[in-house]
Amino acid sequence: MYESKTGNRLAIVILAALAVLVMLPIWWMLRSSLMTNAELFAYPPPFAPTVWRFGNYLATLMNFPFWVYFRNTMTIIIPSVIGGTLTATLAGYAFARLRFPGKDLLFMLCVGSMLLPTMVTLIPLYIAWSRGLHLQDTYWPLILPYFCGGGAFNIFLIRQFIKTIPRELDEAAKIDGAGPLRILASIIVPSIKSAMIVVALLLFIGMWNDLLQQMIYINSSRNFTIALGLSQFKGSLQSDWSKIMCATCMSFVPGVIFYLIGQKYFVEGIVMTGMKS
Amino acid sequence: MPIKGKRQEATAAYLCLIPSIIGLVFITYLPLLSVFALSFFNWGSGAPDPKFIGLDNYARLFTTDPYFLDSLRVTVVFAVLTVFGSMIYSLFIAMLLNRKIPARGFFRAVFYLPYVLPAMAVYIGWSWLYEANFGLFNYFLSLMGVEKLKFIADGRLVVPSLALIAVWLSGNLIVIFLAGLQNVPRVYHEAALIDGANGFQRLRHVTIPCMTPIIFYNLLMALINNMQIVTPALALTNGGPGNESRFITYLMYQSAFISNHLGYGSSVSTVFFVIIAIFTVILFVTSRSWIFYEGEEK
Repeated sequence: MYESKTGNRLAIVILAALAVLVMLPIWWMLRSSLMTNAELFAYPPPFAPTVWRFGNYLATLMNFPFWVYFRNTMTIIIPSVIGGTLTATLAGYAFARLRFPGKDLLFMLCVGSMLLPTMVTLIPLYIAWSRGLHLQDTYWPLILPYFCGGGAFNIFLIRQFIKTIPRELDEAAKIDGAGPLRILASIIVPSIKSAMIVVALLLFIGMWNDLLQQMIYINSSRNFTIALGLSQFKGSLQSDWSKIMCATCMSFVPGVIFYLIGQKYFVEGIVMTGMKS
Repeated sequence: MPIKGKRQEATAAYLCLIPSIIGLVFITYLPLLSVFALSFFNWGSGAPDPKFIGLDNYARLFTTDPYFLDSLRVTVVFAVLTVFGSMIYSLFIAMLLNRKIPARGFFRAVFYLPYVLPAMAVYIGWSWLYEANFGLFNYFLSLMGVEKLKFIADGRLVVPSLALIAVWLSGNLIVIFLAGLQNVPRVYHEAALIDGANGFQRLRHVTIPCMTPIIFYNLLMALINNMQIVTPALALTNGGPGNESRFITYLMYQSAFISNHLGYGSSVSTVFFVIIAIFTVILFVTSRSWIFYEGEEK
């Protein structure tokens, strides 16, 4: 309404140009995975492969046990995402709707933990998990923390989202004799599905990228995640870039699929929360 | 009935919060206190049982540690470059995406995509683009007649090169900015239009003031996250060349988990915590002068 036509045209041109730049690295990795090393080292480098060598992927799978790594990664991620989303929803509901003594203090501690760099607590946690509970080289130290609230940001996101739901719905259910937990299950959860999907996606990405803790807690190569396996694979090949790019592009796939499924909820989910204060 | 209702409500609240309270106590605040305590001990290789040594770890850190000051410097340089780069980039993209243009959904997906890729794969992929002889970037440079660069293998270029990747990855900031922009009340824009304000004036006097709380939030989170940078050092550079990518978290990782000096590593963590806390306080204090809250008299 208040946007000029010329302005919009200019915006599209700039966006398209930037989109090409942003996609270029991904295209380059993809195109490199479909070429032979000889082709990769040619000058000038061709922008697209002359022959699309999908066979490279089969060859890579011979040395790169992607499916083992994929299964291991999912063994960590699926329970963590479920646990994190559920516990964040529970906490977000309590902060948004319920009255109880100590609420302000707890909420402050929770928001305060958002400012705390997670790297700082790594050493004591490692001592507890591996020397105290002897869980080194298992997935528990990576999974269990996600069953403890799923992170302050996510709790906050759910809380903000629940606050946008009219209280009249709760009141009506209350008059019908529903307790707080019943209200959560039957009224709140169905209306905050998109926020829960956002939280699940954020948790997924967070775990996906947490290379450091995977390196600390996972030792034996049969337990390796995709990230660890990829690191080892690159180390063992050094300059066989064609195969390295195959493995790299394979590891992109799960995240992209999950994102495409969740993406339509994404901005709406965050917009609704009002992200203020 | 009301009293019973209240008790029931409080009970339900505590039930809902049990997991989070456990998390706050055992995963956040207790470990935070322990890391302070551990930093006064010698524990790990050469000292199987923790031994109290007072401030020795700190003395060593600030006087004889060959890496610490370098790692402090490269971490701060990286964080500053990345925070500014990614804030400007993502606010700019978000403002373009906020217009009523065709294919918005597609563009949004494109700019967000890098963020959902696994970090390890991203760094390995980019290391190929940065490759010293056959990489894409060196090809572009050769087209422009510039000499080949080594990027991540060059001490002077490694931090800016990694910062560029980090900016490329900042799709999450775009989404939060976009969400904020969509919450800017339309009536403000309409009022400004009636007063004859042009596009730039509306940006300066409507959009930016309404966005300051979101800008502050993103700035704070980007700073805290980027100060903790460690993945590229783990995935690619091992802290090199020289110490030029030996970020603080990597130094902590090395001392605690590679050299097995848990006490010493804890002192690195503690100093790091204090530095981030100082940055956070500075940001909060200065923010009072530039954050605009709706409905607040100035």
